[in-house]
Amino acid sequence: MNFVIALILGLGFGFALNKAGLTKYHKIVNQFRLTDMSVLKFMMTALVVTMIGLYPLRAMGLITFPTVPATYIVGNLAGGLIFGVGMAAAGF
Amino acid sequence: MNWLSKQIRKEEWSPYVAGILLGIVGILTVILAHALLGASGGFENIAAYIGKAISPTNTYFNYVMPAAITYPVVLLVGVFFGGMLGALSSRTFKFHTMDDEQWKQAYGKQTWKRWLLLFLGGIVVEYASGIAGGCTSGLAISGGMLLVPAAFLFIAGMFASGIITALIVYGKKY
Repeated sequence: MNFVIALILGLGFGFALNKAGLTKYHKIVNQFRLTDMSVLKFMMTALVVTMIGLYPLRAMGLITFPTVPATYIVGNLAGGLIFGVGMAAAGF
Repeated sequence: MNWLSKQIRKEEWSPYVAGILLGIVGILTVILAHALLGASGGFENIAAYIGKAISPTNTYFNYVMPAAITYPVVLLVGVFFGGMLGALSSRTFKFHTMDDEQWKQAYGKQTWKRWLLLFLGGIVVEYASGIAGGCTSGLAISGGMLLVPAAFLFIAGMFASGIITALIVYGKKY
């Protein structure tokens, strides 16, 4: 794995998070209070853009998808439930 | 060109614009690195150094999350400096004690409380990521863009308990 690529990708990721304001406590917690929808808008826009970019490339046979996180309903759901507590309490 | 540099200097972008940037990063991650944008895994790789020192034959720290400088660790370093670059570009970069006006109203003025809660919250979040197989970035965003069912289960759980936690913390002010 090329670490230079990882570093550059991380830079882009951190930059986007900072510009979306998601490094701030109130942005995160207000999403859960449903008074500020920034987190969802940010996440869902990213999802849509990535899908538009990746699915045609895969359909043309140019790329393959990496190994994806395993689906096991109890684990994913329980993890999410615990995760939300920490995220809403601390704000990240 | 003038317009572009003015936009970059803005402290906050529309979440849609920042989301498009993250989307492009997501596409590049799959194409260039053939991996996902995971953050929590990197912390586990670093923590594994301590875990291995305590229990050298532990399966988890030897095989599942080995102690090594892996791709997610380097990604984390990038995220740190990327966030710093973002703050520098808008000239809002400064050292501060993680204070937040809204946090003070909800929990009180003491800085140590904020740090304690951040530390405890960090433990909860990392523990949950270990169970679920990823965090907001590695599972919800990276998994979501590849339409993995796990990601949507995770998001559902996260919002359910997040909303309840916010309800408890804010009570009548919710």
